[in-house]
Amino acid sequence: MSTLLEIKSEEEWHKHTASLPSSTLQIISFHAPWAAPCTQMRTVLETLASSYPVTEPLSTSWVSMNAEEVMDVSDSFDVTAVPYLVLTRNNQVLETVSGSDATKVRAAIEKHAKSSGGSSNGSTAAANNSGSVAKNLSSYTPTAADPATAPQYSSGEVKEDKEALHERLATLVKAAPVMLFMKGTPSAPQCGFSRQTVALLRENSVKYGFFNILADDDVRQGLKEFSDWPTFPQLYVDGELVGGLDIVKEEMANDPDFFKAYSVPKSTPDSAAAS
Amino acid sequence: MATSNTPMEDILRERITTTLSPSHLEIHNDSSKHSHHKAMEDSTSKETHFRVMITSEAFGGKGMMARHKMVYALFKEEMAREGGIHALQLRTRTEAEEEKDKSKEES
Repeated sequence: MSTLLEIKSEEEWHKHTASLPSSTLQIISFHAPWAAPCTQMRTVLETLASSYPVTEPLSTSWVSMNAEEVMDVSDSFDVTAVPYLVLTRNNQVLETVSGSDATKVRAAIEKHAKSSGGSSNGSTAAANNSGSVAKNLSSYTPTAADPATAPQYSSGEVKEDKEALHERLATLVKAAPVMLFMKGTPSAPQCGFSRQTVALLRENSVKYGFFNILADDDVRQGLKEFSDWPTFPQLYVDGELVGGLDIVKEEMANDPDFFKAYSVPKSTPDSAAAS
Repeated sequence: MATSNTPMEDILRERITTTLSPSHLEIHNDSSKHSHHKAMEDSTSKETHFRVMITSEAFGGKGMMARHKMVYALFKEEMAREGGIHALQLRTRTEAEEEKDKSKEES
């Protein structure tokens, strides 16, 4: 999975960008340490990046720079406000997003990542060499080689204070339009209800992000409070809690098009499942 | 006095009945279906996973989430504690909804 690279100097920037193939989608974020929304934007980008596999040739490159440290670079991209996102490919600026609207940022990245063909729609070849993927779930996992949408959110040693955790959760639930907080991962669920939810999303070709709550106890406990919901899995759509498996099943029974807006048409045949 | 060997189920039944006056209440203990899961390997309880169907007018006018929260609220402590209720699958309907579902099934 990709990570957000912090680049500290113009020289480093030029070296980095020159080393990339012309087909790479470059996701360039400008920030300033004194601007609070920039921390949130970093979180959003790190989350998104982790759902994009590192491919050969590199399909996406994720870079973050302090706008004030790399003045020439900021000027060359006309950065006048932060946070500021620039998307380029082959030295052409495809799109820019100014401000901290996570939804806009994600939409822009996804739009351009799709056209490179090597992105996260789950049907890339890279998805299937992990070998241990449960056969019946391998045809549609949200990310290749099964990285969590936001795995780096383990708080590790640092005991986060409540407010910081709350902020982190608020961003996390919006990390993807459909976000599943589950036990385990889509290819290795650790709980029957999580497994069923993954299957349901897969049957409906829903594009979603996931977070393994077994990997992060702070999120596991914090989200119960944040959502005011005691169990997992928890499915969020557009930043709002829909509920657990029961509710998702019922919503689908009442309206088969419940996930229509979030689904992707089945592109390639399920060759993976046959292996 | 004989002690019940399904204390958790009894609590479920008692509280739901008292609070929601259900016209229909079914409690299924699915714990054995989950006892092989990694999360349950240290558990000694045989009452960890329940599937509950409740028909009650108290659910009227409320969305699914609100209904589920009403039930969860009754068992907050049991769900939070170690060895308590690990999972609660719910079907929450009003009498009218139950009727509608029945006629759908029969049609």
